[in-house]
Amino acid sequence: MAAILVCTVFGAGSVWAADNSHVAGLRRLSEQEYRNSIADIFGKDIAVQGMFEPQVRMGGLVATSTAVLSVTPAGFESFSKMADSIAIQVTDEKHRGKLVSCKPKAANAPDDACASEFLGHYGLLLFRRPLTSAELKARVNLAGAMTKSSGDFYTGLRYGLAELIQSPNFLFRKEMAVPAGGKAYTLEPYSRATRLSYLMWDTAPDAELLKAAETGELNTAAGLEKQVDRLLASPRLETGMRAFFTDMLELDTFDNVSKDALIYPKWGGAMAPSAKEETLRTTINLALRENGDMRDLMTTRKTFINRSMAAIYDVDFSFDGDWMPYEFPADSGRSGVVTQVSMLSMFSHPGQSSPTKRGVALMDIFLCEPTPTPPANVDFSAINDTSGPLKTVRERLMAHATTPTCASCHTHSDPIGLSLEGFNTIGGRRLTENGQLIDLSATIKGTTFKDGPGLGKYLHDNPKYPACMARKLYGYAKGVNSEDVDATVFKAAYKNFTDSGYRMRALLKGLAESPEFFSTPAAIQDASAEQPTKLASH
Amino acid sequence: MRLHRRTLLRGMFQGSAAVMGVPFLDCFLDSKGQALAATGQHLPTRFSTFFFGLGLTTSLWVPKKAGLDYETTSQLKPLEPFKNKMNVFSGMRVMVDDNPNFQHWSGNAAIATGIAPTKASQFDSKTIDQTIADVISRGTRFKSVAAAASGDPKHCYSSLGGANTLPADPSPMALYTRLFGPGFQDPSKADWKPDPQVMLQQSVLSAVSDERKDFMKNLGAGDKTRMDQYFTSVREAELQLAAELKRPEIVAKVDIPAAPGEMPVNYALPNVRTVTPLMAKLGALALATDQTRVFNLAISEPGSNIFVPGDPLGYHITTHMEAIDQNLGYQPRVAKYNVYSMELLASVLKELDGIPEGDGTLLDHSLLFAYSDQSYAKIHAVDGIPIMLAGNANGRMKTGYHIAGGGAPVSRVGLTVQKAMGLSVDGWGKGSMETKSAYTELLA
Repeated sequence: MAAILVCTVFGAGSVWAADNSHVAGLRRLSEQEYRNSIADIFGKDIAVQGMFEPQVRMGGLVATSTAVLSVTPAGFESFSKMADSIAIQVTDEKHRGKLVSCKPKAANAPDDACASEFLGHYGLLLFRRPLTSAELKARVNLAGAMTKSSGDFYTGLRYGLAELIQSPNFLFRKEMAVPAGGKAYTLEPYSRATRLSYLMWDTAPDAELLKAAETGELNTAAGLEKQVDRLLASPRLETGMRAFFTDMLELDTFDNVSKDALIYPKWGGAMAPSAKEETLRTTINLALRENGDMRDLMTTRKTFINRSMAAIYDVDFSFDGDWMPYEFPADSGRSGVVTQVSMLSMFSHPGQSSPTKRGVALMDIFLCEPTPTPPANVDFSAINDTSGPLKTVRERLMAHATTPTCASCHTHSDPIGLSLEGFNTIGGRRLTENGQLIDLSATIKGTTFKDGPGLGKYLHDNPKYPACMARKLYGYAKGVNSEDVDATVFKAAYKNFTDSGYRMRALLKGLAESPEFFSTPAAIQDASAEQPTKLASH
Repeated sequence: MRLHRRTLLRGMFQGSAAVMGVPFLDCFLDSKGQALAATGQHLPTRFSTFFFGLGLTTSLWVPKKAGLDYETTSQLKPLEPFKNKMNVFSGMRVMVDDNPNFQHWSGNAAIATGIAPTKASQFDSKTIDQTIADVISRGTRFKSVAAAASGDPKHCYSSLGGANTLPADPSPMALYTRLFGPGFQDPSKADWKPDPQVMLQQSVLSAVSDERKDFMKNLGAGDKTRMDQYFTSVREAELQLAAELKRPEIVAKVDIPAAPGEMPVNYALPNVRTVTPLMAKLGALALATDQTRVFNLAISEPGSNIFVPGDPLGYHITTHMEAIDQNLGYQPRVAKYNVYSMELLASVLKELDGIPEGDGTLLDHSLLFAYSDQSYAKIHAVDGIPIMLAGNANGRMKTGYHIAGGGAPVSRVGLTVQKAMGLSVDGWGKGSMETKSAYTELLA
C-alpha cells in the first residue's frame, strides 16, 4: 500500500487553494467515523481512548449536525490527547516495524527523507487527499525539531504524526467544490472518494479509492460505477449500514435511557446494548444478507436474540453461542423492528409505557413526520389519575386528547403508539392493565388496524415509509437536514429503489451514481472579509 | 513571619521542603488571611453554577418577607445552614418578547444569557459563566470545568454561543481524570518540576494553529465561525499547557484524594445523591488548587428525567401529569422532587464551604449561581423561576437577603453577578430584558 501512495504530493496549484473552488461541506468526524478511520489506517490494535463530544440530532439524524457543530475546548483537549496516544502507539517499538516503512539513517538524528515518506503516507490517508508540498514540509520540519529536542528519531515522528491526527484536516471532512460548467459546481475527486467511503463503509477512503481519485477515474461514469460496485460488494458495507441504521433508528438514544429496576427487575445493564444489537442484526440481515425488501422491516417476525432479550420476550434460549436466530410465533403480537425491545423501551417512561412518546418517535423515524411540540399551557393531570374511573393509559390519554387544543397533534401521533400498548415499557408482552383488557386498535386517516402486526402492515404498505428511508439516507450522505430535502432531488435514486423491490443496495447505488449526489450549490458570496480570530484570553 | 515566595520555591527544589506540609502555605496569607502576602495578590474569586430542572413550588418556597431575616420556607429548609451565606431571588421575569417560549429551554437560556433564545436547545450568545471565565480564568489550567451528575455529557448549559454546548464530564471518574490525572502538577509535591514533554506538546499545538490561514481559505461565513471556535479551542489547549509549566498556587488546605471508582451515574435519585456531592468535592478541589476558577454542575437536563425508584413516571412527567391536591393546593409528589433538588444544592454548598481558605472558606471566596428552567413546570411557566446566589464573592456580595423581584427582568441577577465578579460591565441582556440596573444594594 505504501509503495503506491508514498510520493503523491499536491503541487502548489491544487484545487485545495484555487480561487474558483469553494468549500461545499465541512463535517466533523463522528466518534464511529474517527474510530473506524484510525483502525483502518493504523490497524485494529491501536487503542483509541478518550471522550468524544456529545452528539446532537437534527432533522432526525445525528449525521446532519456534523455539518453544523465545531470543536469545543474540552473536545479539542480530548482530541489532542487521543492524537498523541495514537501516535505514541504507532511509533513504539512494538508497531514501528510494521507501520513505519523506512528506517532512519541514525536513531538519534533527524532523517528528513524517512520522515517525509512516513508523514506523506499517513498524511494522505488521514487528510483523505495528498498533502501539499508546503504542508508536508511543515510536518517534516516539526518532526525534525522534535527529534533534535528529544534525541530520538521516532519521538520526532510521533509528534509529527500527532499533529496530523489533531489537525482540522483530519477532524473535519472538508468537501471541495469545483466549477462543472455554467453555474454548476461539483465535488472534486478526493471529496467524492471521501463522501462515498464514509457513506458505504463509515471510514476513510482506502488506497484504491484514493487512487481512483488521483487518476480522475471517479469523475467518469464508468469509473464511478466500478468503485460504487466494489464498495457495495464488500463485507465492509455492513459497517457502513450499521452506522446509517443506528442513526436513522435513533439507537444512540439508548445511551441515556434509565429504567426503573424496582418496577422492572428484569431490566439490567446488559439490556440496552443487547436490544440495540438485536435491531441492528435484524436490519442488516434483511438489508444485506437476504438482500430483502426493506418494507419487510416492519413485518418480519425473524430476529436474533441473546439471553437478555430471551428473558424479556419470555422465550427459551437454548443455544451455546451469544446470539441465535429466532422467529416469533404468528400470535406473538410481534412485527418487525417496531415491536422489538429497542423501539418499545427507548420511547417510554422509566416505569410506564407512553403511547405518545412511541407515536411521536415512530412517526418521525419511519414516516419523516415530526410532531409539533405541545402548547406550553396544557394540563395533563387526567392522563395519570389511576384512582378515577379510567383504568388504562389509553382511556386516560383519550380523555386528554379530545380537548380541542390537544386533538390535532394527538390524532397525528397517538394511534401508532396506542396500537403498541400490548407491550410494557421494557418491551414485554401484556394484554391487561390495572385489571382491564387493553384495546389495541388504532385508526389513522380512516385506516383501522390493531396490535403490532396491524401497525407493521400499515407501515409496510405506506409509501411514505420507504420514501422516508431514502430521504434520510440522502440527508445522511450529504450532511443536510432530511426535512429540507426536496423529493425531486433524489428521484432517480428513488426509482432505482422502487424498481428493485426496495432493496437497500439498489438505493445506495442509485444515490451514489445519480448526478445530484456530487453536485453542490455555487458558493454563497461572503462579503465580509475574514475577521482575525478573537482569542479568548485567560 | 515574612517569607518570599521565590525563596520558598528555590528551597523546595533543593529538597528542603520535604518536611513542609500544606498548612505551611498559609504563610502566604496576610494577617487578615485575605491576601497572598508575598505577591500582594488576593485570593481569586471563583464562580460556579448549579443547574436543577423543573423549578420549585411557588407556594412552598417563596418567603413572604423580603430583605434580611426572611422566614425559612419548607422548600428552602435544606438550605437553612447556608441562609446567611446566600441570597434568594423570587418573582424575576423571563421576557420572551416575540420569540416562542421553548419548553424547558427559554427560561434557563434567558437566565444564562439575558437573551430569550430564538432556537430550542441553542443559546443566542455566550453564557454568563464563559463571559466571566474570559476575565477571571487567566493563567489557570482550565478555563472552565463542567460536570453532569446524571451521566449525560450534554447536560451542560455553558456555551460559546450557537449549536455547540461545552461537554460536561459525565462521571466522577471522568471528572477526576481530567482534573487530577495526567497533566496535573501536584504543587504539594516536594520534587515538583515542569515536565519537559509539555514543551514538545506546545510545538505540536503551535503547528496546528499555523494551519489556520490555509484552512480558512474559501470557507463560507457559517463554517468560518465554526473554525474560529476550533482554533480558539486550540488556543485554549496551548494556554492549558503553559499553565502546566508553572507551579500552581495552592491556596487551600486540601489533599487530593485517590481516584473514585466506577459507579452507576444515571437518573435514579439514589445515584444522583451519591454522585452530586462527589462531583462537587472534585470541583471544589479544582477551584481550591486553582486548576480552574469556573465550575459548572448540572444535576440533570431542564425537564429533569430524575426518578425515585418505584415511581413509574419520574420527575418531568410527574410535573405534567400529577393533579393538584385540592386540599393542599399543590402537587404533592412534585413538591417532594423539588425538595430533592434543594437537598442536592445544599450538598454542593457543603463541599464548597468545607474547604478552609484564609479567614473563611472556599464558598466565601466564591459566587455560586443556582437556577432552573421553569417556575411552574406543569404549564411551562417561566415567570418567577427560583434563583439563588451563594457565597459572598470575596466580600463583594452581601448575603442573607430574599429579593422579591416583583416582575423585574431576570437579567438583573446576571448583571449583578457579573459586577460582583469584578467585570466592568454597564448593561446586560437584550430586548425587554436589556438592563443597566444591577441589585446594587447587594454589592459591597
